[in-house]
Amino acid sequence: MTADQVRRALTAAVPGLQPELRPRKVGVRAPVEVPELWAEVPREGLVAAVAALKAAGPLHISIISGRDVGEEIELLYHLAAGYGTPGGEVMVTLRVTVPKSDPTVPSICGILPGAETTEREKIEFLGVNFTGIPSTAHVFLPDGFPGHPWRKDDPETAKLVNRLVEWEGKDA
Amino acid sequence: MPETQNVYEIPIGPIHPALKEPIRLTFRVEGERIRGVDVRTGFAHRGIEFMGMKRNLIQTLYLSERICGICSISHPIAITLAVERAAGIEVPPRAQYLRVIYSELERIHSHLLWAGVAAHELGFDTLLHLTWKVREQVLDILEELSGNRIDYAIPIYGGVRRDIVPAQVPKVEAMVRYYRGLLDELLDAFLRDPSVEARTRNVGILTAEEADSLCAVGPTARASGLPKDVRQDRPYLVYGELGVKAITPRDYGLEPRGDVYDKAVVRLLEVGQSLDLIETCLVEMPDGEITSFPKIPALLAHLKKAEGEGLGWHEAPRGEVIHYIRLEAGVEEPVVWKVKAPTYSNVMSWVPMFRDQEVADIPIIAASIDPCICCMDRVHVVRDGSEATVQMEELLRLSREKTDRVTRRLSPVPRHGGWA
Amino acid sequence: MSALHLVWQAAAVLVGGGLLGLVYKGFDRKLAARMQARIGPPLRQPFLDVGKLLVKESVVPKDAVGWLFRAMPFLAVIASFTVLLYLPWGPFPAVLRSGGDAILVLYLLAVPAVAMALGGFASGSPLATVGAQREIVMLMSYEFPLAVAVVGVVWRLATLGGGPAFSLGAIAAAPLWAQVGPLGVIGLAILAACLLIVTPAELSKIPFDIPEAETEIAGGLMVEYSGTYLALFYLADAAKTIAMAALVVTLFAPYGIAGLLGLSGAGAQAVDLVFHLVKIFVVMFAAVTTVRVAMARLKIDQVARGFWLQITAVAVAGLVLLVLDRMVVG
Repeated sequence: MTADQVRRALTAAVPGLQPELRPRKVGVRAPVEVPELWAEVPREGLVAAVAALKAAGPLHISIISGRDVGEEIELLYHLAAGYGTPGGEVMVTLRVTVPKSDPTVPSICGILPGAETTEREKIEFLGVNFTGIPSTAHVFLPDGFPGHPWRKDDPETAKLVNRLVEWEGKDA
Repeated sequence: MPETQNVYEIPIGPIHPALKEPIRLTFRVEGERIRGVDVRTGFAHRGIEFMGMKRNLIQTLYLSERICGICSISHPIAITLAVERAAGIEVPPRAQYLRVIYSELERIHSHLLWAGVAAHELGFDTLLHLTWKVREQVLDILEELSGNRIDYAIPIYGGVRRDIVPAQVPKVEAMVRYYRGLLDELLDAFLRDPSVEARTRNVGILTAEEADSLCAVGPTARASGLPKDVRQDRPYLVYGELGVKAITPRDYGLEPRGDVYDKAVVRLLEVGQSLDLIETCLVEMPDGEITSFPKIPALLAHLKKAEGEGLGWHEAPRGEVIHYIRLEAGVEEPVVWKVKAPTYSNVMSWVPMFRDQEVADIPIIAASIDPCICCMDRVHVVRDGSEATVQMEELLRLSREKTDRVTRRLSPVPRHGGWA
Repeated sequence: MSALHLVWQAAAVLVGGGLLGLVYKGFDRKLAARMQARIGPPLRQPFLDVGKLLVKESVVPKDAVGWLFRAMPFLAVIASFTVLLYLPWGPFPAVLRSGGDAILVLYLLAVPAVAMALGGFASGSPLATVGAQREIVMLMSYEFPLAVAVVGVVWRLATLGGGPAFSLGAIAAAPLWAQVGPLGVIGLAILAACLLIVTPAELSKIPFDIPEAETEIAGGLMVEYSGTYLALFYLADAAKTIAMAALVVTLFAPYGIAGLLGLSGAGAQAVDLVFHLVKIFVVMFAAVTTVRVAMARLKIDQVARGFWLQITAVAVAGLVLLVLDRMVVG
């Protein structure tokens, strides 16, 4: 798939979307441009955007990464559109921002069952809720683990880190 | 048949002889048939991403190498690509070729490791010992080139830390010839052995549709007939120019079924592919610098000023590894560092693979996705028939002596002679 | 024969058989290691293993049926060592002799397997339960071809009037090969091959080590056994290996070489005994050691199908040939 096709699919599905193309030059003898698309998506448009990408060609989700930005939580969906096309894969990153007061995002497991592990990981680490996810069991942390380690204001994580600092006597 | 009657649970793991790393699989079993599986991970979760976000980028690079003992080239390559992208650092051409050579060497040793493990899971220890014996050759080359059997510390932001000097080239070429000669025998031992075939054919099937929807990566997906290979689909480094082609069982003249046998086919053929790539790289590699930042303080200063985000990806032996990094100016440590190892994507594909299989198939199916297994260090030494506890300094001295020995003695003629 | 003499003989066979079993186990492990390009353990390793196990704590799991769990290792040892008493040792006749000892030996060989299965069920571990189920299925699978092979040989001998019916002593004294016609020779060869295939199954060695299957069920039936109890099972296995190999030798190759060398008296007995032990070793090496380094572990359904259909068919074919031979030769 070309970056243009992906961009058209995205803008058709979510009106007002402005995907940013960030090509990277790859190679030494005959360099080629490998396209990367980055787009900010409102959470209401997430499922539509992913569904449009899936409809346009084979779709793969690599990972959802995320971070705590003060009052909000930013989630990055790293998807590969046109997965399995020689030289024709476009890395699409959808940026979804949700407020901490209501950290709820629709699950994309209905479209991509393979996204379940990474969504469940986000529940544990960032305290995000996914509506419609098949299972919310922990993936990495023990059941009943207090707090969400990637939340910067998480008191439980601060306690854990402090314990480590005391134990090691230096930066943990 | 009412399922509640004769169904009982068998726990496999977190500690079990079939598993080389802690994970818990709880099977619901009826007689010898598996009716369901519950996968529980996280027993080896060390919070590495959390640690990385508290350290400067150079330290994070070293940390990334220790995510997995086997992928100690793959993770550094992915993180350096991500950081170079975020900070706008160029990589000299020679360094790009060197990274490819190292990662293909890693692929050879990882696939041979897997082949041995798979044979062991089948109870075929002879094949395990023979495979691991021939695997020593590539480990010796890696030790010769980098100084270590694992954790090579080769990629750095802007290039690599060690060059391959002309005197070393014949040794690498000799290794390539050694494995070329062995490859047919390896294929013969694994793919034409009736007892191996009886245990792996039509076992642990992952259909192409399932592999696609569950986002399987690497040999796990390719064995199901999906020609997915990051090196081919989303070129990086010089892979685009090397003409990498995703290997599926079709390259061996078989219609892909997605069973364990097909996964063995794909992995063994990829050893041959890696040999070709190494040979091509040795010929095509231009002369020149190996890093754009020879001085670490200058590199750190540049990284501290950098602002931006970047993705780095790499086809590790087990599949796609991807790192996302976000840098902010004035901060030494990454603001966000997210790592995706291939097994992360492949864990879900265990569920359809285990469905309706037998208890006896558990180890080989579990092993068939090649879950990322950490290498054990050499810490137990038996000398003069008596066992002695070895202190760390002593161990360090011994390893240095051994590296020295390998570097000095590794002749262009392989030491192991032959297959048996 | 006085009772004291009998006791003395029995003690010699039991102690000798146990020691021999451990020595042969050492050879088996060393040779297998060499074939796998390993250095391997020292030859005395099985003795060290037993010694170590005997000083270790013997843990009985909380969920286990205690008395059954404790009793089964003893039953296994007693049964497998008793077999040794019923087998002739080269020039020396068996310590215990009776009319139907061939049949008795068949049953005694099955007892350790049953004991292990019961011990597995009694240990209250799901892995041991799976192992025990598999052991029972294995037992049902290989028992028929084993019985056909043994009974076929002794029956043919009985029809030739060679001593008491179903007696191992009789067959050792009068090898069958020379007494039957060409059809009989083919039949005997087939039965010998079947018995060699059954041997690793009877002894639970790769490719038939399914009840223990280290990488699958972590040792299966043996998973909860430790210390003295495990040492007893270990000894039972060593003795059973010797017994099984000795049974093959007795049925199909009970020849001595003293006559060829022109020896007589005590010297001849010594040479024949050594030759008998060498034959046992050869059988073990061929049927156990080489097979277990050359194959992967099979699955229980594959083994059951193989023994029920193919091996049984072949064994019955051998038996039919012997019957035909009886009709032709008489």
